[in-house]
Amino acid sequence: MTNDQLPTKPILLLLCLILLTGCFGYPQFLSYPFDTGGRGLNSPASELNPQISGRYIVFTSDRQGSQDVYMFDTVTRNLVDLPGLNSLDTITSNPSVSLDGRYLVFVASREGYKAIFLYDRETHQSRNLTANLQREVRNPRISADGSRIAFESSHNGQWSISVYERSGQPVNLPRVFQ
Amino acid sequence: MKKSTPKFWLQRLLYWSLVFALIAVLGSCTTNDIPLGTTSLNSRYTEQQPALSGNGRFLAFVSSFKHSQQLVVYDLQEQKFIPTPGLNPQSTVAESPSLSYTGRYIAYLKSDQGRPVIALYDRTSQQSQILTLMYRYWLRNPSISPDGRYIVFESASRGQWDIEVLDRGPNTELDIPNGAAVEAEKTNDQ
Repeated sequence: MTNDQLPTKPILLLLCLILLTGCFGYPQFLSYPFDTGGRGLNSPASELNPQISGRYIVFTSDRQGSQDVYMFDTVTRNLVDLPGLNSLDTITSNPSVSLDGRYLVFVASREGYKAIFLYDRETHQSRNLTANLQREVRNPRISADGSRIAFESSHNGQWSISVYERSGQPVNLPRVFQ
Repeated sequence: MKKSTPKFWLQRLLYWSLVFALIAVLGSCTTNDIPLGTTSLNSRYTEQQPALSGNGRFLAFVSSFKHSQQLVVYDLQEQKFIPTPGLNPQSTVAESPSLSYTGRYIAYLKSDQGRPVIALYDRTSQQSQILTLMYRYWLRNPSISPDGRYIVFESASRGQWDIEVLDRGPNTELDIPNGAAVEAEKTNDQ
């Protein structure tokens, strides 16, 4: 009898361990504090178009009454200030950020005119990347190294993809993209 | 002997017809790459939802032609499309792509029994897996971190669009550039 009972203990222990690891299994959802004051990742208003790059998450929210771009630092768990990015007379959307958090691209809409802007967090300056492009533009994405920007542009309602260097120089793509 | 000759002839014809049939079948096996250089301003091609790999080399996007839609990956350096077998299943549509640093991981949205789920394609193993199988809420717009460990997306769990962060865990094979220090990538200790 004692010989039969002996192996059950490690088996039970093993089963318990398996059950316990199941509780902490991956993939799992991370919980960031829900802040009604608007300083967190989520707020009572809606949050749209999140993009993660390293420690930063950029997104759009209308938590302060108008649609603005926000940047959340997952390490300090706070919003990062973006001075000069959001202004009162423009609607900003679809942000994308580089890995070091220095460069952001986004769509700025003013009086119905949309353009893609590149924001530099060191100089706090925004530059219009598509000023010379007589097309409707949307959905910009910057590569994590900050070297290139891809976006959609429309000619007669037909959407195609363009890629620019950060300097604003278009990258040569085959005809299928144009 | 006399009887076997006509039989042999028939067998030989049958043999050759089989060979030709096989060649014809093989010839019809074209790759599913979208044809290059056939577009004009009035073509029915559209390219949408671009995503760049972290190093800026690969471009993933949704290409539509007539009524079919495909998720494709283009190499900007070699100027050619990258084969991604198993990324576009016949039954569902893959969309909203997002790439990790060297383009190893592709996070995208697909439909699983009429419900949107986030799937992850690993170009190394050429396998796709669903990450949000047990997730009950409506979701959209996934974005993968350059190292491939975290995925953020919009979730309707609170009745409006909010942001959720999914952690693939510390055992995830990170997609970091060659020669980079591991410390350069942050580890979000939870």
